[in-house]
Amino acid sequence: MKKENKTTQTLDPFQAWSHKWGRFGTVIALIYMIALPFVVLTYYDAIPSFGEVINISTISILMIYIPVGISEALSYTPILGSSSYLTFITGNIMNLKLPCAVNALKITKKEANTPEGDAIASVAVAVSSIMTVCILALAALFSTWISPVFELPAVKTASNYIIPALFGSLTLGLFSSTNAGNKVVKNGIMGVVPVLIIVSILSILVRVTSGGSLFGMVGFLILFMLPVALISSRIMWKKGVIKVVDKNSTEE
Amino acid sequence: MKEIIQSPLLLTLVTIGLIYILGFSLVYLKKAYSRCLEMGITKEELKKVIKSSVVFSIVPSLSIVVGLFALISVLGVVWSWWRLSVIGSLSYESLISSSVSTALGFSSNAEMLANATGREFGVVMILMSIGMLSGFFILIPFGKKLSMSVNKTENSSTWKYVLSGTFMLCLFAVYVPVLLFGDTIQAAVMLTGLVIAVGLGILAQKSPKLRWLGDFIMAFSMIGGMISSILWTSIF
Repeated sequence: MKKENKTTQTLDPFQAWSHKWGRFGTVIALIYMIALPFVVLTYYDAIPSFGEVINISTISILMIYIPVGISEALSYTPILGSSSYLTFITGNIMNLKLPCAVNALKITKKEANTPEGDAIASVAVAVSSIMTVCILALAALFSTWISPVFELPAVKTASNYIIPALFGSLTLGLFSSTNAGNKVVKNGIMGVVPVLIIVSILSILVRVTSGGSLFGMVGFLILFMLPVALISSRIMWKKGVIKVVDKNSTEE
Repeated sequence: MKEIIQSPLLLTLVTIGLIYILGFSLVYLKKAYSRCLEMGITKEELKKVIKSSVVFSIVPSLSIVVGLFALISVLGVVWSWWRLSVIGSLSYESLISSSVSTALGFSSNAEMLANATGREFGVVMILMSIGMLSGFFILIPFGKKLSMSVNKTENSSTWKYVLSGTFMLCLFAVYVPVLLFGDTIQAAVMLTGLVIAVGLGILAQKSPKLRWLGDFIMAFSMIGGMISSILWTSIF
């Protein structure tokens, strides 16, 4: 289980394969996904005009999604490494794929974005993608029979709270995963303290003034907070507040 | 619109697309699995990872099914099934479909399903297909650079270890205060999940018989947290 430190300089064969063929497969899937509605709509002679698709009211909708997509790519890719391609093409990243990958890394005690970590995360993401595709296929196939169960108020309520439940369960995993591998980052949390403070103040402010939550704005927030977190972590690391030590020297 | 959402052509194309996604996942699984073995990760460990990933995926997949049924009422079975199986996510797809119905001038989703023309449904299909693409404009050209950046930066220094952890910590630093201060029920659900996770962690450590629990802490605490929301919504 010894780790080779030197492997980080060159790409591992799996990482190289993923960045080449995984990316290629992703592009093919993307082209297919974009072409699909056009093929169907052409067949039924129902292609809308450009102005019907892109106008003031629809641009406002797209404006919500563009930053979310960018922020997902910027913040999840460094965690998921070469397993990102499969993760992004199958979607449901925050509520399914990312926690699944983190869980797998925790079980095998590997670090994210190492050759081992990427391979393990890919196993988890692939299994998870296959599961979702199969479960959804079954659900769609039997939709008329099973829909009453999923329309129960209790089931609907529970499914609205997947993200908070996820963060409750992930918090523990996060702390143990920072201890995995052969290095331990000490006080890493200090680097995101400014983010914690800013987002806390904003959340309380919005709650007090409007009674609402910033939940729908998380994509935007991450996009703006990521540079803050990186800069403050860098400063804290330079000042010696955040330290990286060998695991053996800290093991209880 | 009915003609399009129930069309055999759409069904065929969606099925082909999903078979491709399934095949793509299987190839990834095979490649990653053999690479893991080569790197000395044991079959037992991999078995654990697969088992835990299956369990971990069931509950979120079931919530996606809930979303599927919500979307079916707006977009029909085939298109909803397709959208939730690829890219996007439950929350985006549900939001985009409902905002599109208002943007098109319908007062409700049901009204859109009943009265929208084929062209109007076309607008929905195209918007949903292009809405989530922005991430790929980053991932496809810069994915390699982004993931390498964590590995490569100043290889001799320890910054890369700090850097790789910062992304995850930042996600937490944004989500946790939003959940904690934004909504009482969300906060209660999150704390319940955390308490269950800590409890299970202690149980798995203390009792050798319950050691297997350790691999399912995250899955079980998430299920527990979600179920607790039923209680919290009735209290608050």
